[in-house]
Amino acid sequence: MDVSRRGFLKLSGVSLAALATGIGFDPEIAQAKGFALKIEGTKKIPSICHFCSGGCGLLLYIKDEKLIHLAGDPDHPTNSGTLCPKAASLRHVAYSKDRVTKPMRRAPGSNKWEEISWDEAIDKVAKKVKDVRDKTWKATEDVVNATTGQKETFVVNRAEGIAVLGSAEVDNEESYLIKKLSMIWGTPFNEHQARI
Amino acid sequence: MLFGQPKEGLEMTKKMILVDTSKCTGCKACSAACKEWNDLPAEKTTLVKSYQSMKDFTPNTYTYITFEEKYENSKLQWLFRKAQCFHCSEPACLKACTSNAISKTDYGFVVIDREKCIGCGYCVENCPFSVPKVDKVANKASKCTGCTDRVENDLKPACVSICQPGALDYGDMDAMMDKAKKRLAEVQKKYPMANLYGEKEMGGTTYKYILLDVPKAYGLTANVSAPLSLTLWKDLIRPVGTWAMGGAAAAVLVGVLTNAVKGNYKKDPIADQSEPEKGGKH
Amino acid sequence: MSPSFGRGAMTNSWSDLQNSECFLIAGSNCAENHPIAMRWINKAKEKGAKVIVVDPRFTRTASQADIFAQIRPGADIAYLGAIIKHIIDNKLYDADYVSNYTNALVKINKDFKFDSGLFSGFDAKTKKYNMDSWAYQLDDQKKPVKAASFDDPDSVFSKLKEHFSRYTFETAENISGIPAAKIKEIADTFCSAKPATILYALGMTQHTTAVQGIRCYAIIQLLLGNVGKAGGGINALRGEPNVQGSTDMANLYNNLPGYLPAPNHTDKTLRDYLVHNGSFQQKHIVSMLKAWFGEKATKDNDYCFGYMPKFNSGVNASMARVWDLVNKGQFKMVINIGSNSLVSIPNRAVVRQGLAKLDMLVVADLFETETAQFWREPGVNPADIKTEVIFLPAAFVYEKDGSLTNSSRWIQWKDAAIKPLGDAKPDLDILDLLYKRVKKLYEGSTDPKDEPIFNARWDYGEEPKAIKVLQELGGYDETTGKVLPTLADYLKAPVGAVSSGCWIYAGVTGNGNLAAKRKNDDPSGLGLFRNWSFAWPGNIRILYNRASCDANGQPVDSKRKLVWWDAANQVWAGNDGADVVDKTKGPDTPEGKQAFRMNPEGIGRLFAAKYTSGMPATPPADGLPPIGIRPAGVCNDGPIPEFYEPVESPTENILHPQVSSNPAVVMPATLPEVQKVGKKQDFPYVLTTYGVTEHFCAGGITRNIPVLNELMPEPFAEISKNLAKKIGLNDGDKVELSSARGKVQVRCLVTDRIQSYKVNGKETETIGMPWSWGFASLSPGPSANELTIGVIDPTAGTPEYKCCLVNLRRA
Repeated sequence: MDVSRRGFLKLSGVSLAALATGIGFDPEIAQAKGFALKIEGTKKIPSICHFCSGGCGLLLYIKDEKLIHLAGDPDHPTNSGTLCPKAASLRHVAYSKDRVTKPMRRAPGSNKWEEISWDEAIDKVAKKVKDVRDKTWKATEDVVNATTGQKETFVVNRAEGIAVLGSAEVDNEESYLIKKLSMIWGTPFNEHQARI
Repeated sequence: MLFGQPKEGLEMTKKMILVDTSKCTGCKACSAACKEWNDLPAEKTTLVKSYQSMKDFTPNTYTYITFEEKYENSKLQWLFRKAQCFHCSEPACLKACTSNAISKTDYGFVVIDREKCIGCGYCVENCPFSVPKVDKVANKASKCTGCTDRVENDLKPACVSICQPGALDYGDMDAMMDKAKKRLAEVQKKYPMANLYGEKEMGGTTYKYILLDVPKAYGLTANVSAPLSLTLWKDLIRPVGTWAMGGAAAAVLVGVLTNAVKGNYKKDPIADQSEPEKGGKH
Repeated sequence: MSPSFGRGAMTNSWSDLQNSECFLIAGSNCAENHPIAMRWINKAKEKGAKVIVVDPRFTRTASQADIFAQIRPGADIAYLGAIIKHIIDNKLYDADYVSNYTNALVKINKDFKFDSGLFSGFDAKTKKYNMDSWAYQLDDQKKPVKAASFDDPDSVFSKLKEHFSRYTFETAENISGIPAAKIKEIADTFCSAKPATILYALGMTQHTTAVQGIRCYAIIQLLLGNVGKAGGGINALRGEPNVQGSTDMANLYNNLPGYLPAPNHTDKTLRDYLVHNGSFQQKHIVSMLKAWFGEKATKDNDYCFGYMPKFNSGVNASMARVWDLVNKGQFKMVINIGSNSLVSIPNRAVVRQGLAKLDMLVVADLFETETAQFWREPGVNPADIKTEVIFLPAAFVYEKDGSLTNSSRWIQWKDAAIKPLGDAKPDLDILDLLYKRVKKLYEGSTDPKDEPIFNARWDYGEEPKAIKVLQELGGYDETTGKVLPTLADYLKAPVGAVSSGCWIYAGVTGNGNLAAKRKNDDPSGLGLFRNWSFAWPGNIRILYNRASCDANGQPVDSKRKLVWWDAANQVWAGNDGADVVDKTKGPDTPEGKQAFRMNPEGIGRLFAAKYTSGMPATPPADGLPPIGIRPAGVCNDGPIPEFYEPVESPTENILHPQVSSNPAVVMPATLPEVQKVGKKQDFPYVLTTYGVTEHFCAGGITRNIPVLNELMPEPFAEISKNLAKKIGLNDGDKVELSSARGKVQVRCLVTDRIQSYKVNGKETETIGMPWSWGFASLSPGPSANELTIGVIDPTAGTPEYKCCLVNLRRA
């Protein structure tokens, strides 16, 4: 009974303090403590998971334009509300303080990023595209014919110096425009993760 | 919503969650969903053993998966078990609680009222599974709530809802026990040592497990019950102490009794033995 | 799979897995990397299905297996070959299916040979095959000649039988390390269950024998008659959220959207292109050119075919090789959208060196990936790096409208749920801004090279709208400007009268946005869910489902009826959309017999022959080269699978020691000091790399999510207890792994889940290491790709991440 005795004594002290704060215990206060569902009053918007190719449905609970909860979409036939741990944690991406939220430039030789405007960022990239495209344009190419051993000249119309990588991580519409834009600029060198 | 005051139209029957470890893939989605629903911050971890990243519960981690690798006769079994509060029928923590902060809902979930909790740690010491943990800064104990806010709004607990392989199932106790027994018979064909854990333990628990091997292989003790010392303390010594406290205690008891009348506290025999009601009779 | 079935996509769907009686999960760790699979596999298991897992490690997927076999990485073709031999020897094949729906009976060219590890036509100098002998015998109408029986020595079936006769269970054991009895158990279990399915992912593709391994799966499934059936097929589990879509859209140098070949330097005109690729492509490439150049693309100007850049067919510019081209100085500028090469490319020193040689690197991403900040990787002096880097903050999936195509080929639309964080923009907006700004810079130019920029059709609004782009994919009637209602409307329109940016998506926006459909009813109970989103092609959910019927067009599996010939109404009807040439052509017509309509032969290809359908019996009178209808897909390293050792192997090839690894594989040598091949004496252990449930790919997102870092905090080296004892290591000790290319330090995880095994009689050890870490993020860690080897599969271009040689010591 040693333990019991010690426990009793110890309790007398803390218990008194607890009871003191407990005076005037009001069930109405308990009710107001937040046992209401945190998703009450939210708008539910379905989306699609961004990890493996399962394409599981997500359900986003939005209140005042803020994502307050993310769960599996119970109506989605593939996952019926279930998710893997990666998807279950996806709310974090919306407000992560580690997200980059402004365009940045790292100058040659510099050891840091500097924030720049979108206009400046797009301008720098577009000018570089034009510059590299103009300097590395290959209108024709000499290729040795494997059977004849003869060099032949072919029209290839290529911007030889630009490669565009991406992407299985973007939407179809974006993936399509990556391809279309690359080809319009003249670079067939568009590759992505499907191959790795 | 208030604990013990379920959404209208919901039957207030005892619930059960079956953890069918034969279907668990150790993906840890239950952990992630628990953190997401309860807004619990992530912890800094390293691998403990195998793919297990948590050693124990913490004030911010109510559930985690244990990983045991068992290699015998050239056959490997990778045993996964989702650990969380069992939500016992005869909760030792409730008995031990010094501030009436722990109660049991009609559904059978054992919940800690943080407002009332004083962080004394008696629940921690007395829980045979060492589930509750006291946050030293806030001085409050916490543990799995059984997603009481969800279930009383007719939603499944977050961990059950998220489980992709279907290892977690939730429903009324009787129906779930039937399911569990049928499933156990099926699982025993492949795993002869399979057993149902939580049927007898602590008077029966809300979370029950189909284990593929003896409880010991998962680090569990079979047939565990509340410590004798706790029963003595709770049922014999403590009521006297409360009586001796006089007026301040009595004021609280009036409040609690008011709740009891409103149906917020249980008519459960265990709850009935708890100190407020008894004290009130003095 | 494309050379076997005609389409390179997962044949069935996630929800179809519930219909299977047996799973061979080999080259996929789906419980970890595609967790949703387990939901459906467990449903099948409850009904009694068996699960076989073959993997170099006992994974979380293996924990669910009825049969688990530990295999040496890269030895798949050995045991799969033994299963093929077992099927043939014991006549376990579905004879009706094989004769009706495969090329088993077709006669092979008498010049075809296989000898000492080499197929006929090998050029040792170029390490390439001339495939002319890998052909059918043709009649005078240029049609394939069929044998009367499987026993005809020229038949494909006989060729298979002869080829795989060397693959005994014992030989397979010696090569793979799987006991012969276990291989037999796998073969017996798999062959006795109908329908049975195979699941694979990167565990099969990341080898220099990747395509041939998948060909083994195709041969097994065709022989057993499992393709085209509910619960059957080959489920290639794609790796990324939209990798099916991005492959459909062809972010690949040698493809155009909708699996059209990209034009190469030999395609001077559209006609040349059709000579090389068949008239089947005419409609599709013209539709694409109409989508790209609108009314500027006319018949008279070859539909602007001349605007398209032509790649040099002699230069491999696939993903891993791009970095060789960067190191050679070809690329001055890399625009990198949502990929993290510095973590994900094998032998990452090649990327590290390459990035420093660029004039400009542009990165569009959510977080500062390793690639974006390569200039400050520990050990690098930023002052030495002259590359200008522009980082464009991108919006996340739920911050933008758009569609994603999952592995089941479901094109699923989602609306933006919240605004992009801060000033981040959808990639769509970024691309639109770039197009418009570059065009502006060229204003006034009369240089012909700039014409495509001025003449492009690029009209997605002032603020671009994703739905307008999806409509471009779904197609327009170019005569009325209206969106095309259905795929059928697209197919019946004359060439040049319709446009579609990606013809297999034709009709997706026809009757409203079908990708946004959300009815989850499943009247057949087979998990087809045809009213949920839209699946290409034509909302067919199970590819090749014509093969689920017998020759008379009636379902062979009465419990799992997909489609059938409705004689009363003279139409192919069913629970699924019928994958047939023409829904009104019955099983007694040539069209109605075809179960694999995307193959030029209309049948499944056990032997991947070089063949073009529709070649005229006599050459055209105008002297121009003839145009056929459609060439078949071929494999660059042989028409039948053969086992080759990985490029870095702990043993010799016992089938043909003189041709040990794949002869068509070339080791890159742009940077000789880092692109090295290690020897087994120096690097005695086999390393295999993989992902874990809690992190995704290169970890760019997941290593920035704190909860996931809690759940899986660090990379590790998994080693057997034997190896730990030999080196004197305890669980958790820090070790150094080294290969001929680099080294990393990491904690070791000593486990029974990897066992020592015998290969060719010699004790062998596999070490495993997950690859999802890099020096940046909230959870930095060493990258496994410091060690891996940059050799690639000669057909698919996928690097051999799954096996290389390493040494191990206490750090």
